[in-house]
Amino acid sequence: MKLNIVGKNIIRVDAQAKVTGKALYPQDIYLDNMVYGKTVRSTKPHAYIKIDISEAEKVDGVLKVFTYKDIPNKNAHGVVLKDHEAFASKKVIRIGEPIAFIVAETQKICEEAYKKIKIDYEEIPAVFDPVEAMKEDAPKVHGDSNIIYHFKLRHGDIEEGKRKSKYIVENIYKSPMVEHAFLQPEAGLGYLEEDGTVVVVIATQYPHYDREEVAINLGLPEEKVKIINTNVGGAFGGREDISAQIHLALAAMVLKRPVKVIFSREESFLAHSKRHPMIMKYKTGADENGYLQYMEAEIIGDSGAHCSWAMNVLRKAGVHATGPYVIPHVKVDAYAVYTNNPYTGAMRGFGATQVPIAHEQQMDALAEKLGMNPIEFRMKNIFRRGSMTATGQILTDSVPLDRCLEAVDERFKFSQLWKEVK
Amino acid sequence: MVNINFTVNGKPYEISIDENMRLIDVLRDELGLIGTKEGCGEGECGACTIIMDGETVNSCLVMGFQADGSNIVTIEGLEKDGQLHPVQRAYMEAGAVQCGFCIPGMVLSTKALLDKNPSPSDEEIREGISGNLCRCTGYNKMLIATKKAIEYMKGE
Repeated sequence: MKLNIVGKNIIRVDAQAKVTGKALYPQDIYLDNMVYGKTVRSTKPHAYIKIDISEAEKVDGVLKVFTYKDIPNKNAHGVVLKDHEAFASKKVIRIGEPIAFIVAETQKICEEAYKKIKIDYEEIPAVFDPVEAMKEDAPKVHGDSNIIYHFKLRHGDIEEGKRKSKYIVENIYKSPMVEHAFLQPEAGLGYLEEDGTVVVVIATQYPHYDREEVAINLGLPEEKVKIINTNVGGAFGGREDISAQIHLALAAMVLKRPVKVIFSREESFLAHSKRHPMIMKYKTGADENGYLQYMEAEIIGDSGAHCSWAMNVLRKAGVHATGPYVIPHVKVDAYAVYTNNPYTGAMRGFGATQVPIAHEQQMDALAEKLGMNPIEFRMKNIFRRGSMTATGQILTDSVPLDRCLEAVDERFKFSQLWKEVK
Repeated sequence: MVNINFTVNGKPYEISIDENMRLIDVLRDELGLIGTKEGCGEGECGACTIIMDGETVNSCLVMGFQADGSNIVTIEGLEKDGQLHPVQRAYMEAGAVQCGFCIPGMVLSTKALLDKNPSPSDEEIREGISGNLCRCTGYNKMLIATKKAIEYMKGE
């Protein structure tokens, strides 16, 4: 087979535009008659709010301050559950939640008006620890329960696994919240086409979802909404949820002028999702010959104030909980839980990144109990072609983990050093 | 308002600006040089790097009026007679360009480094771009690109 692309160094299509500074990101676009927007965000994690925009709207050069009252149709969006309000209406549930969108002739006037927005916060008890949030008497972020999702995996017979295990290690691992910090802070423009089509220019990972959300919130048919994706200045999952799309579309539709918004770095941190922090309780057992017999894991993921991709992320964490090891008896419970923390969502690895912190340290801890070289211990238990995962999948294709481990061992001289220190 | 005279990419300008305007805003909003990017607005990320009188500066930390009398090079000023600068070419070929938002600043830092030190060590290259953050590449591609650029510049 002759390959035209595979195996060759190809220069990416947008490289030249990027090295010459000609590549356009939303902040680089200037339109005639353009006005600017600024988002007013919650400074409290959990509070009932009353909003007074009257003084801000009186500032010379302010066109309008938008709030939940201006949303024509549904004030709700979200990639899985529609649990974000485009503008908080009665209650804020996290710091950074949008409350209003100021539109003015210049950015300077926006700043001036921003100082005149009055928000009366009536604070209520908040919950920041996902373990606390799972309790029945915890403050509720949405509805009656903070538990969004429970992934259950049962494979084999845990009691049999325990009986066969001579060595058992039990540990709790915690992974932190992580910010994507893509280099291009969120920015976007909204404008109207002559036939009334609302256009949003933005750097996004999901133009098709954005279109649907804008259409639903504004009460427009989808064909009257257009999302134009510019160059995307990094995303890593942080541009999967709505940022300014609905605000820009609404402002452009009502004011009939192009509207631009640029988030500062600080606002960018407040606005988008983070990586799910996880609390991972693991019990793993092996027999006297170093073969894994069972694993029991409870994984609690902090979803913050919104669901975003919580189900998908915690499912992935649960599916990958065993790591690349054959374990005959497995029990996994993974939970996604609402708190009043910044919300979490997609970030590189999508739940598969957190669990190796737990399963790999379990492997080392077990190898230590067995007095066995941890590479040798892994070699006994890794997935190979024909292995069955805890979710019942037979791995029929390429599974070159043994070769990978051998190569790593050789480069690190791990086993050689292991013998020397023993 | 304040009047400033300065040269940008070889072209002289005489403009009147707000006293409280940052240099990055002068370049982007007044001169339309949108290749200079703002990533943090506090001198941390280096996306707004430009070359001012031969030195790299974060244009978000320089006031517009401070540019009076200076000679500035932005990313738009690197091409010569429609030809890419060797650093630009090398970045493209080495695959050092991903999302691209750090690239104008990164390329200018690399150029400024090579203008002063045409054959830097690996460590000197890393130090030369240490003021420019990139979230995509992991920086090794920039090192490879810079070595490539050194070769191209020797051949010129």
